[in-house]
Amino acid sequence: MFLRHKAIRIVFIGLILIGLLIGCSPGGEENTDTVKSENNSENPPSINTEELVYANFRDIRDLNPHIYSGELFAQNLLFEGLVKITEDGVIPWLAKDWDISEDGKAYTFYLRQDVSFTDGYKFDAQAVKANFDAIYDNKDRHTWLELIRLLEGFEVVDDYTFRIKLTKPYYPLLTEMALTRPFRFISPNCMIDGTTKDGVDGLIGTGAYVLTENHIDEYAIFDVNENYWGEKPSIKRIIAKVIPDNQIRTLALEKGEIDILYGTNMIDADTYSKFDKMDGFEVTISDPVSTRMLIFNTTDEVLGDLAVRQAISHAVNKAEISEGIFQGLESPADTIFSKKIPYCNVDLAPYEYSVEKAQEILDNSGWIVNDNTKIRKKNGLALEVDMYYNSNNVTEKTISEYLQSELMKIGVKINILGEEEQSYEDRMKNGDFDITFNISWGTPYDPQSFLGAMRMPVYGDYEAQQGLDEKQKIDDSILKALTVTDERERQELYDYILTTLHEEAVYLPLTYQRNRAVFSDKVKNVTFNPSQFEIPFEKMYIK
Amino acid sequence: MTKYIIRRILIAIPMMLAVSFIAFVLINLIPADPAEVALRVNEIIPTDEVIEAMREELGLDKPYFQRYLSWLWDVIRLDFGNSYINNTRTVYGEITRALPATLRLASLSLIIVILVSFPIAIFCAVYKDSFFDRFIRLLIFVGTSIPNYWVALLLIWLFSLKLGILPTSGNEAKGSIILPAVTLSLTYISTYVRLIRNNMIENMTENYVFYARVRGLKERVIIIKHVLKNSLQSCITALGMSVVQLLSGTVVIENIFSWPGIGRLCISSIFNRDYPIIQAYILMMGILFILCNLIVDIVHHKLDPRLHGGDIN
Repeated sequence: MFLRHKAIRIVFIGLILIGLLIGCSPGGEENTDTVKSENNSENPPSINTEELVYANFRDIRDLNPHIYSGELFAQNLLFEGLVKITEDGVIPWLAKDWDISEDGKAYTFYLRQDVSFTDGYKFDAQAVKANFDAIYDNKDRHTWLELIRLLEGFEVVDDYTFRIKLTKPYYPLLTEMALTRPFRFISPNCMIDGTTKDGVDGLIGTGAYVLTENHIDEYAIFDVNENYWGEKPSIKRIIAKVIPDNQIRTLALEKGEIDILYGTNMIDADTYSKFDKMDGFEVTISDPVSTRMLIFNTTDEVLGDLAVRQAISHAVNKAEISEGIFQGLESPADTIFSKKIPYCNVDLAPYEYSVEKAQEILDNSGWIVNDNTKIRKKNGLALEVDMYYNSNNVTEKTISEYLQSELMKIGVKINILGEEEQSYEDRMKNGDFDITFNISWGTPYDPQSFLGAMRMPVYGDYEAQQGLDEKQKIDDSILKALTVTDERERQELYDYILTTLHEEAVYLPLTYQRNRAVFSDKVKNVTFNPSQFEIPFEKMYIK
Repeated sequence: MTKYIIRRILIAIPMMLAVSFIAFVLINLIPADPAEVALRVNEIIPTDEVIEAMREELGLDKPYFQRYLSWLWDVIRLDFGNSYINNTRTVYGEITRALPATLRLASLSLIIVILVSFPIAIFCAVYKDSFFDRFIRLLIFVGTSIPNYWVALLLIWLFSLKLGILPTSGNEAKGSIILPAVTLSLTYISTYVRLIRNNMIENMTENYVFYARVRGLKERVIIIKHVLKNSLQSCITALGMSVVQLLSGTVVIENIFSWPGIGRLCISSIFNRDYPIIQAYILMMGILFILCNLIVDIVHHKLDPRLHGGDIN
């Protein structure tokens, strides 16, 4: 018996030892992506003034700058473009200057001569051409950019001069060239047979940082590029940790394991207001970057009536949505685009919140309240519409429920239907809805790319606008606005498009989304770039 | 015995085929078109021509059964294709990358479960209806009722934020496995304590215990050598199933604790509609269940002489 006991004891002690071994063994090594590594530390080093720990909700994934599956913030750290968008408009980056031909069809870029990729490969017109070749080789994937559709050719003029030719003039060319993808430059050494569409052999750019270590689904380390051609950032090392759970990100920030949370989908209203009040932390919020709105389907029997669309627009209290649902993080929106967006400072009379006005419009156009059901009717047709939302989106559900109860006050019955994301998107694409949610693409895609997409049956907008008498004219004006060279004419076209869509009340703008950041107060100069997808790490410093 | 094992293995093969068929069919039952999904996840506008090209690339234009067979043939050679999201990564590579972390987490949890539940259960059975037993019963009741994501948040709040002795999440810092492993094991501890305790109490009323007492054996010997040993039979079945459940049940825990394992891979694949990975995951878990069942049956057969009409002496 004693032996038996001894045996059990040995087994138990063995189990404890194994447990301790597992518990104390630092993990991660086996999950390491082989990246050129100067620092083989197994653990991220402790925080100091040269190091910033950022948390993202998912892995950085494939950072190949010519495809769309990597995290934008990380691609921005490694890869640079010819031009850059700032608050003052488009400015030189890897191109020190450029010329636009008189007909607007040829763009000649003069490249900087002091730039090399981090593997030593010289950045010159040949390197630019190699990248354009790789991008163009995969052009089906980039057709959402008008620039790719209009591209006639590109050529090396001399060692440091590169020219792009278009079939038609296209004013947003420089904006599209400044996007994080696909017009960013990777070292031709990383291309596989001159292409990048089937993967790349390394992530070598010209950017201010290099990817030193990548532990998939755990963390990635970016170190400053010691040979950077421009001004070197103050933060020498950025550790991007992966923390998928919202609450844990918040706790990790509070504990000091991370220094900053950044972006609309990373910080909800509760987190923002919590850290706003907490000592040792700061919060900041940007100007409006995109618009949350409803789309009305004008081909629907009920919503085809302009009076109904206008009445609903008057009956929605946006201020209450802004305060009650978003705690002021999103501001009430009166127009499809904020007036700060290029070409969108158009004088439009907002649909002011007034239940009386909404009722008056409906009364005057023959929609009479049925005393039994409290729902309005006109020629036997009930004022009843279906509103769809993405059931994964808590905010959309709350807004739907709020609107359902509010609109009942003016005799409009809304049936709200939540759907799984994929079916919801399919429904939207097919125009199979009465009312649904929509978010504009945000800066720097607004207004040109968002409006451009209305011309094609790929999003709900196209179908929803089919009931408008002026649909063809709207589409023609959009295309013309994108290709016209005269600035005044372009503004007039935008005036027409935005005014018509506003007066026809196809969209009901609800709120303007704003970018936000929550961070430890030792992180200074946390700002926002015009593009909501970029994080200006290079401007931050730690004190 | 050998005959029995061979027979069981032979039965397992058609079951695995059935699982593979279900894994294949389930994904194809999803109303969305996989070609369109593959495009949309890469933010490509799914126009008709692009969809057609993608259907061809994925082989979706071929007849259903032919697709199943060619998929099965690939799977047998461990070629699950490439991920939709990261086209350059193979599904096999993704799974083998994530599996070790989950194995570490699941094995530590299993060890905690065994170390904690056995002594408590034995104590509860021996001192049935004592204060300790009642208290543990209450704890078990609470333990099985509380959702483990909530326990996880409470533990993080206490041990990371307030006491500051363990990291909130991740895999890189020392001791980071402790909180997820403890959280994961809590539900199982509750189950096992209850299972072993009840089995032991049941066994204590059996005749053999009575005869053992008559033979004048020490109570300790009776409990450990006879009652516990006999009570463990049903635990082996449960344990076999728990191994797979521990591996597949890490989804929530891995997400909360940012643990880079197979559960995280699965959930992010579901969110991203990375069908090849989801398919491989379903298949892997199905086959693991079958294998564990097989092992449990064989072990049972070996341990329990009654099952193979063996020599009771």
